[in-house]
Amino acid sequence: MTCEELQQDYTSFALGVADDPEREEILEHLGRNCPSCTAGMASAMSTVTAMSGAVKIVNPPKNLRRRVVAAVEKEPKRSWMAVYAPWLVTAALSAALIAIGISGRRENGRDAGMLRSAMPILNDPASKAMRFGEGDRSVTGRVFVSMDRGVVFIGANLPHLDAGKIFELWVLPVNGKPVPAGIFQGQPDATAVFVRPGPVVNASAIAVTVEPEGGSDQPTTTPFVVTRL
Amino acid sequence: MIPGLVLALQMSEPHDEELAIRLQRRDPEAMRDLYDRFGRMAWSVIVAIVRDSAVAEDLVQETFLRVWNRVHAFNAQRGALGPWLLAIARNRAIDHLRSLSARMDKNAWELDVREHPSLFVDLEREVLNTDHARVLRKAIAGLNANQQKVIELAYYEGLSQTEMAERMGEPLGTVKTWVRSALKHLREQLGQVVTV
Repeated sequence: MTCEELQQDYTSFALGVADDPEREEILEHLGRNCPSCTAGMASAMSTVTAMSGAVKIVNPPKNLRRRVVAAVEKEPKRSWMAVYAPWLVTAALSAALIAIGISGRRENGRDAGMLRSAMPILNDPASKAMRFGEGDRSVTGRVFVSMDRGVVFIGANLPHLDAGKIFELWVLPVNGKPVPAGIFQGQPDATAVFVRPGPVVNASAIAVTVEPEGGSDQPTTTPFVVTRL
Repeated sequence: MIPGLVLALQMSEPHDEELAIRLQRRDPEAMRDLYDRFGRMAWSVIVAIVRDSAVAEDLVQETFLRVWNRVHAFNAQRGALGPWLLAIARNRAIDHLRSLSARMDKNAWELDVREHPSLFVDLEREVLNTDHARVLRKAIAGLNANQQKVIELAYYEGLSQTEMAERMGEPLGTVKTWVRSALKHLREQLGQVVTV
């Protein structure tokens, strides 16, 4: 379904009362960070929030405030490890880049910007890091997945792309069809770093395929990378 | 219904950025401030849905902890804390109702999508202000009986349109039309323009 067709169901979805197929379609659009649907949902969320303005206001029990705050005061103080973890993760990324032969050339503006956008994902303590590929000649690399922040893909020894072809990243859900998560080009040295910011919904694996330029709605070739979360 | 005009004003104060940053720094004092700003409203929404004080206390705590645990993904500059927290509060309450009535949440992960902080970016900051509350009451009064019924079933019970159709003994297509037209009316009256 197109964004235009889904538009009238954004608020139903925001309320949690949309039915399939509209519900499933909106989830799919949001899962691939569709800008139209994300913007439309923000507007729908405004409407739902405004509806809360009609609720009769009543005072909560006095002890509830203490209970809510106590729940987080019990949280242990952050250790030096937690404080320095972001820098350690960044260092780990550098090591990963070097380990798979991507180093010393990512200094142009685009790559610098891309790596900056990768930082929130890499710095998420809940991020999962997977490696794939073995040996000198096979496709090798790392995938970092933060369910809240997105995916970072770093690959080397990638397949050669013929004219009119491109790499496409996929989020494979626990159930259902692969969700497209962005297209990217490789570098002349057969390496690539790709960042797909935004939430990762219901993912069980990340895959990469070669697709026609512009990308596909569903994979048209066998993935050359599949990493399970 | 008595709208929460005073609370609404508190909620629309433009302090989200500073408060969100303090929450992201794991400052328990920030949690205290968060509760002072939104606790009453969250409680009111939850208790209106579950109608059980003991359960509502658990769900309010769950709501604030969820914000605490997920605030790292919140956009402190552009996000709207109040709407985000209220969405979580309502979702917790509806989820509880669904579990009670064996309407098990078929979409546990759908909640994650609907509550993701990225959907609460660039929301109108004044969405809960007095004007909106007044307009909302007028807008609801302007709905016909069937439209009011489906909005009530949607907001307070979280019934899907299929479930509403079964409850009301009406065809699904008819119920969908009522829901869409009612929400469209509310959106228009609240001045929310769906931008695509």
